[in-house]
Amino acid sequence: PIPAPAMECRVLSIQSHVVRGYVGNKSASFPLQVLGFEVDSINSVQFSNHTGYSHWKGQVLTADELHVLYEGIKLNNVHHYDYVLTGYTRDTSFLEMVVDIVQELKRANPNLVYVCDPVLGDHGSMYVPQNLYPVYKNKVVPVADIITPNQFEAELLTGKTISTEKDAVEVMDLLHAMGPDTVVITSSDLPPRLGDRFLVSLGSQRHVRPDGSRTTQRVRIEVPKVDAVFVGTGDLFAAMLLAWTHHYPNDLKTACEKTFSVMHHVIQRTISYAHDLAGPGRRPSPPQLELRMVQSKADIEDPAIVTEATVIS
Amino acid sequence: VGHPGTCRVLSIQSHVVRGYVGNKSALFPLQVLGFEVDSINSVQFSNHTGYAHWKGQVLTAEELNVLYEGIKLNKVNHYDYILTGYSRDTSFLEMVVDIIQELKKANPSLVYVCDPVMGDHGAMYVPEILLPVYRDKVVPLADILTPNQFEAELLTGRKINTQEDPLSALQVMDLLHKMGPETVVLTSTDLLSKHGDKFLVALGSQKLTKPDGTNSNQKICMDIPKVDAVFVGTGDLFAAMLLAWTHLHPKDLKTACEKTVSVMHHVIHRTITYANDVAGPGKRPSPAQLELRMVQSKADIENPSVVVEAKVL
Repeated sequence: PIPAPAMECRVLSIQSHVVRGYVGNKSASFPLQVLGFEVDSINSVQFSNHTGYSHWKGQVLTADELHVLYEGIKLNNVHHYDYVLTGYTRDTSFLEMVVDIVQELKRANPNLVYVCDPVLGDHGSMYVPQNLYPVYKNKVVPVADIITPNQFEAELLTGKTISTEKDAVEVMDLLHAMGPDTVVITSSDLPPRLGDRFLVSLGSQRHVRPDGSRTTQRVRIEVPKVDAVFVGTGDLFAAMLLAWTHHYPNDLKTACEKTFSVMHHVIQRTISYAHDLAGPGRRPSPPQLELRMVQSKADIEDPAIVTEATVIS
Repeated sequence: VGHPGTCRVLSIQSHVVRGYVGNKSALFPLQVLGFEVDSINSVQFSNHTGYAHWKGQVLTAEELNVLYEGIKLNKVNHYDYILTGYSRDTSFLEMVVDIIQELKKANPSLVYVCDPVMGDHGAMYVPEILLPVYRDKVVPLADILTPNQFEAELLTGRKINTQEDPLSALQVMDLLHKMGPETVVLTSTDLLSKHGDKFLVALGSQKLTKPDGTNSNQKICMDIPKVDAVFVGTGDLFAAMLLAWTHLHPKDLKTACEKTVSVMHHVIHRTITYANDVAGPGKRPSPAQLELRMVQSKADIENPSVVVEAKVL
């Protein structure tokens, strides 16, 4: 068989690096590379492991150091990217430098797609410094093309609470108005139709038809809950949403089905392994719960669809 | 291809934002083969130093120690392999030695794969003071060593007579065995290939203890097609793939080397074809264009068809 031509798609991912485990760039790079994307990665920090372990140690990159790295890329005239991907950040000056870089990269390539996970908090409270909120709201989200907030982050960014699916649709429309054409609320407290072992996620994608009129595709996905705390799953989600919206740019339903299905396979494999390691009746530890990323290569390459997205009006 | 199971590698090498050297060259192929790879980035540069420009930051010996401490405090300082390559700093290299010694105490079966990067074609391209550190501290701890001819001569203080049959090269490899490593691969030499001057000669030697307690020594020779281009990162890929294929064929250096050299061939061939296409007819490709086509070579990495045969001497 004649091999298909290589996809020439280059991503710039600006996220954390951990020596051990799968968060940030460690969570995003391998799956994107396995899917054939060229991934350039700027490590915003280098830590021994994620901060859910008993101990963690390492170093952070300053906004200046980030700029210096970008300058190196620019001086060589290779600052041409199809995608930018960002996630967890703790520092406003760093985040503002990221915005400057994204804006410049968009000038170099107006078709650039910025995939942004606006990590602010969850379950009603912020877990980054409060002064990041105005930066996300006023500077970051306006330049984003795809965002993956959870319910708390979506409510925070729009100032509107979500109690019903109708509220969620309005919040996603408000987020569209701020900038991004694609919004996925990765998890919510909305009541699942499949029962309390599931959680509800929603997606919304704005298109401009050939005749210039606008249309919005909205989807609802019910995802099995897992009885464990995972770290790095949000980073994997954003990376895989990048990949699958790339392959299905006008079909959010399919892009979401593939993305949520990959998550399911990786999480199931991880939780089985973690329980095996921990032993019967014991709660697995953070090291034991590290995502089984390399073991999930086949699922990453070609995820069997296990979650269906329903198109909603 | 046999699965490595939960085989964990600690790789301490450079990180580049763009391109494939150091950890960027080693991680993806090892992960694709199923290895768990923990990576400490000794530097973070925009790109390798063969480009017109490069910018970035280096990790100090102290910062390296801090990262290792984080791993140790969580009691996850257990590795099956360590992999190191290019280093410019003696205190950093000495800290690497301390870490390896401690990791070998934690796991006496640990295998240290060391590329003793010092120079090539008769000239050193690291500070001279690294030589005694490699010779007296690093190489004695190494289990697998991948010097080129120049580095083998520097470490042993013996020149290889390239006009003879490989006898003097084999004697140098024996001297290297006596210094520590049971497996030595001379990745390139100026020995005359019987296939002509478009080939270079690589040699390998592995000392094994048979079940009956006696020692054996397998020596192999390979004639490898030369390429008319300067690649960066190929040595890092070589060491990583030798780690993988000696793991999968632990008592069969012939097969391990055939697979390793064959992977190199496929990746280099794909890269040079692409680079020449992008550069255009009659133009020499630039460093950016010559970056290894790593993600595009995934299938060859997973299951390299053997294109170079090793001869048992």
